[in-house]
Amino acid sequence: MERSEEYIKNERKQEWRVELQKMTKAKDRMSIERVQMTEMAPEERIKSQRVEVNVGLTKEEAILEAKRCMDCVNPTCMEGCPVSINIPKFIKYIERGDILEAASVLKETSALPAVCGRVCPQEVQCEQKCFYVEKLNLPSVAIGHLERFAADFERESGVISVPKLAEPNGVKVAVIGSGPSGLSFAGDMAKLGYDVTVFEALHEIGGVLKYGIPEFRLPNAVVDVEIESLRKMGVEFITNYIVGQTASLDDLKKEGYKAFYVGSGAGLPRFMNIPGENSNGIMSSNEYLTRVNLMGADSEESDTPVLRGKNVVVVGGGNTAMDSVRTAKRLGAERAIIVYRRSEEEMPARVEEVHHAKQEGIEFLTLTNPIEYIADENSRVKQIKVQKMELGEPDASGRRRPIPMEGSEYMIEATVVVVAVGVSPNPLIPNSVEGLEVSKWGTIEVVKDKMQSSIPEVFAGGDIVRGGATVILAMGDGRKAAANMDIYLKEKYLSKKVEL
Amino acid sequence: MKEFNSIEDILDFAINEEQMAADFYTELAGKMKHQEMKDTFEQYALEELGHRAKLEAVKNGKKYQVSETKITDMKIGDYLVDVDVDKTNITYQEALILAMKKEKIAFRLYNDLASASLDEPSKKLFLMLAMEEAKHKLRFEVEYDSNILTEN
Repeated sequence: MERSEEYIKNERKQEWRVELQKMTKAKDRMSIERVQMTEMAPEERIKSQRVEVNVGLTKEEAILEAKRCMDCVNPTCMEGCPVSINIPKFIKYIERGDILEAASVLKETSALPAVCGRVCPQEVQCEQKCFYVEKLNLPSVAIGHLERFAADFERESGVISVPKLAEPNGVKVAVIGSGPSGLSFAGDMAKLGYDVTVFEALHEIGGVLKYGIPEFRLPNAVVDVEIESLRKMGVEFITNYIVGQTASLDDLKKEGYKAFYVGSGAGLPRFMNIPGENSNGIMSSNEYLTRVNLMGADSEESDTPVLRGKNVVVVGGGNTAMDSVRTAKRLGAERAIIVYRRSEEEMPARVEEVHHAKQEGIEFLTLTNPIEYIADENSRVKQIKVQKMELGEPDASGRRRPIPMEGSEYMIEATVVVVAVGVSPNPLIPNSVEGLEVSKWGTIEVVKDKMQSSIPEVFAGGDIVRGGATVILAMGDGRKAAANMDIYLKEKYLSKKVEL
Repeated sequence: MKEFNSIEDILDFAINEEQMAADFYTELAGKMKHQEMKDTFEQYALEELGHRAKLEAVKNGKKYQVSETKITDMKIGDYLVDVDVDKTNITYQEALILAMKKEKIAFRLYNDLASASLDEPSKKLFLMLAMEEAKHKLRFEVEYDSNILTEN
């Protein structure tokens, strides 16, 4: 379902779009200020892990914001979307007040619009390519907010559309992992008429969307509705099933699966390998967030509680670090501190997440790096020896590397430490499937843009290929893999000539 | 401290050090469980043989200079725990730690030898060798910084 330029242009010429274009003059559209998403007050939202920070737009706000969109002849915003959403079309449906149609446009190419509307870094993708940014140096149309609004409106309306599906072709395909990449792939393959089964190792479907992203950013209920849509499209989900352990790919082949999409993610935590890191009270962000997000450890009655403490230190500057430190605050930490090796400018976390963290009273120790953990007599962490860093001159790549400042070491108190410095791919599939080419980083090697591995019937995408990226890039991989697996399967099993 | 009687002596020592490093990585490659790590250590071994060839060229008369540019020392390896080289499932992160630490040891050795040198040609040669090791170390540090500490 890729979009040709001609298709986009013809869509834009539809009568209703032309009418809308004429209805408001360009200068009037440009004079509207970008809408600000209402947020829960910081002092209120930090009382619970389950209170969403961003409240969403009202219908009136959404329609006004949609009016800002110029419905460009050449919608550059679409170039910035890894799943090729027809952005002007869905926005113009909002302007017209036809929100359910807007939601159905989103679903043409995105299996998870309500998710993407919340967690995609639109500011460096579609919104960065918006006419307002590129030509006027003004804030972009709030594409992400509008996407969320349309998807939420549909969910709350109860009138949930199911995308058009091709006739079933009887070919069984298996998806390994139910994260964003696997779900996106499953949605596209179901639309193409395949019999899709998703195998999930955990007891919940959603992968990193559920175990990794806290509910104050992405409520599980929102993810569940999107999963339910896939179920309605005929996708089957099997939980507590570890491909590579419960059954091998060969076992699944014997059960009739003709091809596989590996979207098993990057769930292997990375540690820093500094002295004392094995002390009690030091854990990975994967463990910390999974316990809270998936196993309810934020509840006092939880059977699987997570360690709480007065001083919680989170090492790292990515979104995972922000999620962890803000979770710690919600679990009652008096001081919740980010320790990050570079300056705030280099932080990989979204600006919005850093802003929200600051609003919530998170402390930031930037240009600071832990070099040793000090434990008490019970091997429980009590202090961290940190070192001040400075940024060196830009190297050949233009990047300024952090360099320790000799003699700048000092101690900070810590009762709990969460390490969020990065993640590695889950090693199970790469290590258990013979003939599968794997990189030194443990990622599965695929043909770029085809997502096909060294084993022709095995495709892969998302973090198991990228090693750690965004939800939307993982989804884009799922879409590419589905398009290419479709070609592969049609040639092999459905005896149809396919144009490449 | 080891004594050297001539420039040739110094170069022979350094060439042998590079060969020993290559042998170390080849041995590690041989015992790795996973192909990608076998390939990684074989690559490291090849790099060490490349360094050896460079030194052999100097021994055969190729001119060398001690660069004035200071090589950045990110000191990443200085604070990390040693890697257990007896295990067969070393990760790429551990491979980089191992390499950073080995290059740092070599850098320190040549730097110390340069400081202890009484004659100018030997001092210059040791400094050149130290700079080479510092460059090798920086290459591993940059890789570690960019690909391991991705969110730090």
